[in-house]
Amino acid sequence: MQVFVEGVGMTKVERHYEKGLSHLAAEAAFKALDEAGRPGGVDYIVVANALATLQDEQLDLGGYLAASLGLRGVRALTIEAGEASGLAAAQVAASLIESGMADKVLLVGVEKITEFPSGKAYRHLQMVYDSESRSYYNVGFAADAAMLTRLYMETYGVDRELLSYWPALMHNNAKENPYAMLNFAIKPDRVSKALVIAEPLTLLDTFPLGDGAAAIVLSSEDSSSKPMARITAIESATGLGSIELSDDPLIIDSVAEAYKRLSSLTGVDRFDFIELHDSFTITAMLVLESIGVAPKGKAAEMVAQGSFSPTGPGPVANPSGGLKARGHPIGATGVYQLAEASLQVAGKFPGVQVRGAKRGLVISMNGLGSNSFVALVEGV
Amino acid sequence: MSMELSIPRFWRFKHSIYRLQAARCRSCGRVHYPPKNACPYCGSRDLEPVELPKRGKLVSYTTVYAVPDGSRQYSPIYVGLIDLGLTKVVTELTDIADPSQLRKGIEMEAVLRRTRVDRDAGLIYYVLKFRPAMGVPDVQA
Amino acid sequence: MGSVRAGVHGWGAYVPIYRLPMAEIARIWGWHPEQYRGLAVDEKAIAGPDEDSLTMGYEAARNAIARAQVRPREIEAVFFGTESKPYAVKPSATIVAEALGITPMTMASDLEFACRAASEGMRALTGMVSSGLIKYGLVIGSDTAQANPGDVLEFTAASGAAAFVIGPEKGAAAIIEDSATFVTDTPDFWRRSGEPYPLHGEGFTGEPAYFYHIESAVKALFERTGLRPSDFKYAIFHQPNGKFPVKVGQDLGFTLDQLKEGLVTPMIGNTYNASALMGFAKVLDKAKPGDRILLAPFGSGAGSDAYSILVTDAVEAKRLLAPTVEQYLARKVKVDYGFYAKSREIIYVIK
Repeated sequence: MQVFVEGVGMTKVERHYEKGLSHLAAEAAFKALDEAGRPGGVDYIVVANALATLQDEQLDLGGYLAASLGLRGVRALTIEAGEASGLAAAQVAASLIESGMADKVLLVGVEKITEFPSGKAYRHLQMVYDSESRSYYNVGFAADAAMLTRLYMETYGVDRELLSYWPALMHNNAKENPYAMLNFAIKPDRVSKALVIAEPLTLLDTFPLGDGAAAIVLSSEDSSSKPMARITAIESATGLGSIELSDDPLIIDSVAEAYKRLSSLTGVDRFDFIELHDSFTITAMLVLESIGVAPKGKAAEMVAQGSFSPTGPGPVANPSGGLKARGHPIGATGVYQLAEASLQVAGKFPGVQVRGAKRGLVISMNGLGSNSFVALVEGV
Repeated sequence: MSMELSIPRFWRFKHSIYRLQAARCRSCGRVHYPPKNACPYCGSRDLEPVELPKRGKLVSYTTVYAVPDGSRQYSPIYVGLIDLGLTKVVTELTDIADPSQLRKGIEMEAVLRRTRVDRDAGLIYYVLKFRPAMGVPDVQA
Repeated sequence: MGSVRAGVHGWGAYVPIYRLPMAEIARIWGWHPEQYRGLAVDEKAIAGPDEDSLTMGYEAARNAIARAQVRPREIEAVFFGTESKPYAVKPSATIVAEALGITPMTMASDLEFACRAASEGMRALTGMVSSGLIKYGLVIGSDTAQANPGDVLEFTAASGAAAFVIGPEKGAAAIIEDSATFVTDTPDFWRRSGEPYPLHGEGFTGEPAYFYHIESAVKALFERTGLRPSDFKYAIFHQPNGKFPVKVGQDLGFTLDQLKEGLVTPMIGNTYNASALMGFAKVLDKAKPGDRILLAPFGSGAGSDAYSILVTDAVEAKRLLAPTVEQYLARKVKVDYGFYAKSREIIYVIK
């Protein structure tokens, strides 16, 4: 795949009460366009968003953002795949370029989740799971991850304290990242003492609720001038996305499959860093194990030993601070991850810069893997 | 005047909700719940309805404090993964007066309870929740 | 009564797990212990936040159907007797019937006559079975009883359910030999439409209501059948507290021995439609073939039924097919007034 990143823009992930969807989108998009040298012809705007209908009473967000960004007439698509909307939108944007339908695509991920009190947000977030099995209940958004955590702990003999190294690592990375929502370090032992959201998960095992926007200008090889990165491949797979339907819920079938497709497509199985989907501590562990970067049951131990820390043997996990500390503006997150990965391989990430980073993996998924996306980003 | 809980969405699903009606694939034999249009395991469209047993073993569980809108009166909400033999289900758990009684492997049984209530004038959704078994018999249709 | 009789093929009960001690209510509302000791009730069972009369009735009915050893679809009538329906309009009977697999070819309705609605349903079913209109019918008595917070009624207003499958005499665990009903317009206790709690006439609920109607119904039954108190092994009455059923029983000539097995109110309070009927289920849990039972439910407004019921050989095999009343009584957890107030929605909450 010859898809090039010419410019990126991000807003800080925050409770942006004073900024709506279009304002956030503009902030990120204008930065990306400026960095790309204000290209003349954007052929498509592809918008990644999950909650605009529920939070902001807006359908066809892409259509309205076009005019709002001064791009009236541009071809527009709005892509939704729950928490994986960002990479799903990137997959569409990249395929438009690969297929020759577009030379330049503006990819914008934008999300607002603070328009209502948190109780309503939890009801919305519960929608990332299968409606037919979950929506009649009040399980909330963390119950599945909590039950998986318990299964993981029992199956592999891992205790609560060992799992707390991941949130601490995320916070440590994020405090350097000016776009991150949480900018303070925490020690692992603080995690189990925090507010319990769904036992044994605490508030420090999951992402904060925050709004944000990230944008990337993507170009075909012919129309790129000074690209900062290249997206070599994006693959995806759907899965059962269900703890009760899976024979082995401790492997996320769609993540494993998407990664397998990407590896066989690119021949790549080594990378300098990964920006992965750590909606919960447990999802990070299962993603690492599902792609084989950590053996089954060993991810937590490896995190605690520093294997994935910036100074460790690598790959470096979530130098941005991940969903946990950089934040998780749901539909926009995948675009944040790609923007961060692009800055890493360009040597320009404003936070923890992975030295000599040439190749990064980006993983995003919805819920417990109803749909998973994996992208390979490389330096130019 | 507004309705938050849909009428037909619940109504068309009531056999699954009230009786744990699942689907068995005639091709590969696997059972899944709730019923889909094709077997999620082998892809075959050859499915037949099958009612799940109302008794099973607790596999995993959690206590939820971050409860969604409209469910504060039930907090903390207990959720469990239960193995019913033919397949597993995830439901809310009920009658948990002492959470320390929840342990992997204990017997659980399904009973009918309220789950979501549309404020003062809207619908009441009733579903099957599981509780530590006391021997309520299964009555299959 | 005609020559073709009906009987109880299955019985079941349900009591929620939560118990509110009398002392807790007294603590909040400033009652002196002597003001409630006379009720002879220790604590009352209350439904949890996700329960209502419908969910309780469902479980009692499931137990009854299991004991009846019939397929749900063989049941052709469902009467739901309650004074605490979740919907004023929308029958609880159809929801329970659907959840149990009884629908669609069935009669179904919710009945109201304060605490004796389910008993009226039972009498109606005996007629429907005897006439051959249906083979099996299900009657459920279930209430999350309400009382004005701070009123003396709050001590005893409890939650519970009982259910019975009525069918032909052949194969029944207990035959309904005969029955009588005595009603008058007597406003001892009522709840106006749209109001959350009832009002009552305090002392007026005694002699002119409870005692007069139960005694009249039972005496009418004795007259029709020629039976006397000594012909019965058990006598079960509506039990608004622990004292009234003993007094009315003794006034009618029964001994404490005949009365004690059918008492549930001292342990769990007054479950309204499930009051006498749960006592009946409790007796069936241990009665022997050949035992005769007097059952006299009462409902305010007011009226009483009196049944003469004869236990058969079939009772023993059915007993262990479902949990017994004793098992439900033993399953308990103490709660405080706050939990009760939240569960029974007596705290004003913006939804």
